[in-house]
Amino acid sequence: MTNSLNDIRHAKSMIFIGSNATEAHPVSMQHILHAKEVNNAPIIVVDPRYTKLAAKATEFVRIRPGSDAAFIMGLINEVIANGWQDKEFIQSRVSGYEEMAEVAKHYTPEVVEDITGIPAEQTKRVAQILAQNRPASLTWCMGGTQHHIGSSITRTFCILQLVLGNMGKSGGGTNIFRGHDNVQGATDMCVLADSLPGYYGLSDGAWKHWCRVWDVDYDYIVGRFPDKEWMGKKGFSLARWYEGVLAEEKLETPTPVKAMIQWGCGSNSNSQYNRVVKALNKLELLVIVDPFPTIAAAVTKTDNVYLLPSASQYETSGSVTSTSRQIQWRYKVVDPVYDSKDDYEIMSLLVNKLGFADEFYKNIKEVPEDITREINKGTLTIGYNGQTPERIKMHMENWHTFDIDDLQAKGGPCDGDYYGMPWPCWTDEHPGTPILYDISKPVAEGGLPFRNRFGDVATYIMSGREEGQLAAKGVCNPGSEVQGGYSEFKEVVPGTNWKTDLSQKTIKTALDKGMAPFGNARARCVVWNFPDQIPIHREPLHSPRPDLVDKYPTYEDKPNHFRVHTRYNTEQNKDLAKDYPYVLTTGRMVEHMGGGAETRSSKYLSELQPEMYAEINPRLANNLGIRKDDMIVIESPEGSKIKVKAFITPRVDDKTIFLPFHFAGTLMGESYLKDYPEGYEPYVVGDPGNTVTNYGYDIITQIQATKDGLCKVTRA
Amino acid sequence: MARMRFLCDTERCIDCSGCVVACKEGNHVPVGINRRRVITMKQGEPGEKSISVACMHCSDAPCIAVCPVDAIYQRADGIVLVSKETCIGCGYCFMACPFGAPQFPKGNVFGARGAMDKCTFCAGGPEENFSAEEKKLYGQNRIAEGKVPLCASMCATKALLAGDADVVADVFRERVFQRGSGVNAWGWNRAYKKD
Amino acid sequence: MHRLIASGVLVMVVYAIALIIGTAIAAPTSLTGFTQVFFPQQYSELYGGITGDWQQLGQLFTQLQGDLFWKVFLGVITVVPAVFLLHFMIVGAKSFSHDGPQILFFNAFTRLIHWIGAIAFSLLVITGLLIIFGGIFGGGAPIRFARTVHLVAAIVFAFDAVLMFLIWVKDMFPALCDIHWIFILGGYLSKEKKPVPAGKYNAGQKAWFWLATVGGLAMAYTGYVIWGMQGDLDTVRLYAIIHNILGMVLVSLFLTHLYMSLFAIKGSLNSMITGYKPKEEVDILHSRYKYE
Repeated sequence: MTNSLNDIRHAKSMIFIGSNATEAHPVSMQHILHAKEVNNAPIIVVDPRYTKLAAKATEFVRIRPGSDAAFIMGLINEVIANGWQDKEFIQSRVSGYEEMAEVAKHYTPEVVEDITGIPAEQTKRVAQILAQNRPASLTWCMGGTQHHIGSSITRTFCILQLVLGNMGKSGGGTNIFRGHDNVQGATDMCVLADSLPGYYGLSDGAWKHWCRVWDVDYDYIVGRFPDKEWMGKKGFSLARWYEGVLAEEKLETPTPVKAMIQWGCGSNSNSQYNRVVKALNKLELLVIVDPFPTIAAAVTKTDNVYLLPSASQYETSGSVTSTSRQIQWRYKVVDPVYDSKDDYEIMSLLVNKLGFADEFYKNIKEVPEDITREINKGTLTIGYNGQTPERIKMHMENWHTFDIDDLQAKGGPCDGDYYGMPWPCWTDEHPGTPILYDISKPVAEGGLPFRNRFGDVATYIMSGREEGQLAAKGVCNPGSEVQGGYSEFKEVVPGTNWKTDLSQKTIKTALDKGMAPFGNARARCVVWNFPDQIPIHREPLHSPRPDLVDKYPTYEDKPNHFRVHTRYNTEQNKDLAKDYPYVLTTGRMVEHMGGGAETRSSKYLSELQPEMYAEINPRLANNLGIRKDDMIVIESPEGSKIKVKAFITPRVDDKTIFLPFHFAGTLMGESYLKDYPEGYEPYVVGDPGNTVTNYGYDIITQIQATKDGLCKVTRA
Repeated sequence: MARMRFLCDTERCIDCSGCVVACKEGNHVPVGINRRRVITMKQGEPGEKSISVACMHCSDAPCIAVCPVDAIYQRADGIVLVSKETCIGCGYCFMACPFGAPQFPKGNVFGARGAMDKCTFCAGGPEENFSAEEKKLYGQNRIAEGKVPLCASMCATKALLAGDADVVADVFRERVFQRGSGVNAWGWNRAYKKD
Repeated sequence: MHRLIASGVLVMVVYAIALIIGTAIAAPTSLTGFTQVFFPQQYSELYGGITGDWQQLGQLFTQLQGDLFWKVFLGVITVVPAVFLLHFMIVGAKSFSHDGPQILFFNAFTRLIHWIGAIAFSLLVITGLLIIFGGIFGGGAPIRFARTVHLVAAIVFAFDAVLMFLIWVKDMFPALCDIHWIFILGGYLSKEKKPVPAGKYNAGQKAWFWLATVGGLAMAYTGYVIWGMQGDLDTVRLYAIIHNILGMVLVSLFLTHLYMSLFAIKGSLNSMITGYKPKEEVDILHSRYKYE
C-alpha cells in the first residue's frame, strides 16, 4: 500500500472495493473505525455481498462481480464532469490525463448502471462523497484483482486517486491490504515466474546484477538453463502451473513439469481445483514442505510424495515485510518441535545434497541475518538497502517509542525513524518512507516523488499527442537541487544506474542533492505496454449478460501466456448464461485462512466454522426449493461439481452464489480423511470451493478470475 | 471498591470471534464449552450488528440467588465465580441466567452434567492464586496479575471493554460523544465545518 | 423368612438393573473440571432459543427458586412433623389387638412393589431435600452423590409407580363415603373406635395413592426434563417450578403417610410385611370394605 494502516486514521473518507477487511484483515479495522469515529469519515463499501465490512459502512454499493472498471471509470467521469478533479495535481504530476478523460466519458452514470447494476443516483452520490471528503483512502483486495481484467481494474483505482489528488497525502493513497504477514516480502523478493528479486525483471542486466550481488559467476548461472534464451522467459505462473504438468493445452516450454516442491502452499487456493488434482497425480515427484499435511498430501495417490514437516513462525527467525511496507523481525521462541525443521535448514539440506552449497551460501554465514544483508545489498529498486538486521531489531525492541498516528519514533534509540523503515529506505540512516509519493517532505526524511520509470517523453497512439513524462517545473521535494522533474540517476558510477550500482554511491549522491534516485516523473494514466492502454470494461469470460458481451468483448486469445496458451475470446461464450445462470464468487472467512490446512487443524477455529457452505439469497433459495441446511450441488461450466450446505442469507443478492475457499478433504460425498497420515487429519473437512471456480486469467499477470464465474445450483 | 464490568461496543464489534478463541486458548476450555460467544443480529442486512456476550458478572446475580449449594459467589470487585468443587451440576444457574452464561461439560455418571463452567473474568477461582489447581479448573488468573481479561486485551478494535465500571463507562461515553448522537456523518464538525 | 430374603434379593436386583441402565446412558469421564462436551450442533440446538422470547419465565423462576421454595420446604419438614407430634401427644395412636382373626389385605406381589417403591421414594425425598439444602452441607461430592442416587431411585420409582398404579387403581376410585371421611378427618381426632366410612382404602389413602403414582410419575417426567435439559429454556424453567411445587406437596403427604403407617395405627407396619390386618381394625377403619 502507498500509505500505511495507521495512516488510514487520517482519512476523511474511505472507499473499499473488492475488500472485506473485517474478515480478511480484522486487526486493521481499529484504524478504519478510528477514522470513522474521530474524523466522521464516510465509509463506502463496494461489494457484491453485504459483508461484515458493509455492516460498518455509511454507504453500501452492491456491484455485479467483474464490473469494477466500469464503476470506477464512472466515478472518474462524474468527478471530471463536475470539475471536482485536483487540477493542480493533475497538471503537475500526472500524464495522459486528457486521453483518459476522453475514454471515461463513455461511462456515464446510466451506462454504469446498465453494466454494474448500481443505480445512477448512487454513482453520483459516491463521487460526491469522495470529492467532498478528501483525502480519501482507497483500498482493494482480491475482489479487485481476481478478474481477467484485474490489471485494468487496479489501474482504474490508481487513476481515480490521481484524479482526486489523493496520492502522496496522509489519509489518502491506494492502500491494498496484503494478507499474509510476509506476502509483501515474498512479492518484493519476486517469488514469481516473471522477475528476479526486487522487480528487476529477467533481462540480461537483471541477471548480471544479481550474480554480482550473490557473488557467483554469470556464466555459471547461464549454464543452469537448458538454453540461454530460457533465462529471459517467464515461467509457469502459480495460477496455471498444473497445465505445465498435464500438457493438454498448448505449451511453450522445453519440457512438461515433472516434479514439484510445494513450499508453504495450499493447493486448493488454485481455481479449477479438479485439474490441479489431476496434475498432482501425474507428477513424478511431489514434495510438500509445511507444518501441516495439506490437502495435496491426501489427494495425491501416487508414490513419490514426500512430506517434510517445517517449523512454524515461533520456531524460527528472520525479517518479514508487512502490507505497510514495514520490515519487522520475527524472533525464535522455541526450538523446532518433534521432527520439524525450519525452512533454512530444509533448504540447506536440499542445497547441500544438490551440490551447489558453495555458490548458494557464498555470502551467507550467519543465518538469517546474512540473508537480510544480502537483500540490503542487492534490492536497490525499492530501497531495501537501509533496513539492516540491526536496525530492524532495534525497532522491535523499542516498539513503544513509535507514535501510533504517524509511525515516527519520538525520542529514544530510534528517534526520527518510521516504524519498520517502510521501503524505500535508501541508506542506513534514512528513516523509511511512510507515505509513498509524498513531496511535502525532503527525500532524506521520507518524502518521495513519482518514479521516472517509463522514459522522459511519450507519444499516445490514441490522440497522437506527445507529452513529457517528468514532473512540472517547481514540483519536487523540499531541498531538491533540480526544482522540478528529473530523470532517474545514471552513470554516477560509470556503467551503472541507481538500481545496479552496488556501491550505492548513486543513491547517496541523489539523496545529498535532495533528489530521489529514481527520478521525479508523472504518474501515467496511459500505459502503453498494456493491451488496454487506458482501462476499459470488458465482460467477464463467463458473463451473465450476453447482451453486454457484444458491446464489451474480451481480448484475443494469448498464445504464450506464462508458457500456456490462454483463451479469452474463444472462451467467452454468450450461451453459457442460459445453463449456468448464477454468478459465482469466492472469498474469505475470518475464522479460516487460505487452503485451510492450518486453521482446520485448529480445534477452536474448526469449532467456530466446521462446515463448507454456499451463501444463497432467500429469494433464490425459495425459487429453487432449497431450505435451511439443505445440501446443494454447485456445478461449473467446466462440469466440475461440489456438494455443500446451503446457507440462506441476504448477504448475497438473488443472482449470486458465494463460496469460501478454505475447505478441502471431501468431494461430492467421498472423503479423503483416510488418505491423510494417520493422526494428522484436520478436524473439519468439506468440498473445495475452487473445484467449481471457472476458467479465466488476467491478461497481464495471469491471476485466476475466481470472483466472476458462472454456475448452476440444484438441490442435492 | 472498583466493580468489574464488560461492555461490548456494537459499533466496533466486527464479529471476528477473536475474543472467543483467545478465551478458549488461554484458559484451555474444551471444545463445546463457550464461555464467550459473538451474536450477530440482522445478519447480511443493513443494520447488522454483532455483540460479544459472556457472563455479565451481574450486581444482583440471579445465578447466585438460585444455587442450592451456594457454589456461586461474588467477590468484592463484583466478579462472579463458581466453586467447581462445590457445584453439583443441577443447572438452576443456567435456568436463571438471562445470558446463558453457565456451561456444563458432559461426562459424569448417568450422563449428568459436570460442574458448571463460565467466564471467570480471568480471575481464576476460589483456589489459591496461580496454583496449579486453579489453572486446571478455571484457567488463567490475570486479574491477580493486574491484567485485563484475555478477550478484552485481544480485541483489535477495542469493541470489548473490560475493567473498572467507571473507567469503562467513561471510555464508552467518550466514544458516543465523538460519534455525535448516532448520526455519524452529520455531526457538529459537518455542520459548522470545524476541522 | 425365606420370603424376606427372596424379597430383599429381588429388591437388590431391581436396583442393579437401574444402575446398569443408568451407566449405559452415560459416557464415563472425570468428575469435575474439563471434559469433552456437546458437539457444536447440539450446542446450537440447545441455545436455539437464545434470540427468541425465552425470558418469559426467567424472572419468576429466579424469584421462586431464590426466595420462596427453600422456605416452604423448610416449613414442610418442620411444621408437618410438629403437627403430628402434637397429635401423637394429644390424641395418640389407634391400637387394635393382633391376636384375633386376621384378614389378608396385601398379597405378596403388592407388598414387594410397595417396598421397592417405599425405599425409592424415601431415597428420593431424602436426596431431594439434600439437594435443596445442599448449601448447609457445603455442597460438593456428597451432594453430587445425592443427585446420582436421586436419579437411580427415580428410575426405579418410575417403573414401580406404574405397577403400583395398576395394582391399586381399581380400589382407589373416589366414592361417596370419602366425602364423609374427609369431614370427620377419618376419625383420627378422637380416641374412639367408631366405624369409619371407608372402603378398602380411605380418602386419605386414595389421595396419597393418586399423588404418589400420578404425581410421582409427573415428578419423574419433569425431573427427566430438568436432568437432560430436554427442551427450550422456558419449558425447562416451567418444569423446574412444577417439580418443586409438586415436590412440596409430595413431601408433606409422604411425612403424613409415614406418621399414619408407623405411628398413628399400631401394627400397620407389620401389616405391610405380613400382609394381614386384624379383623377388628378392618371393621372399624374400613367399615365399608366387603371382604370374604
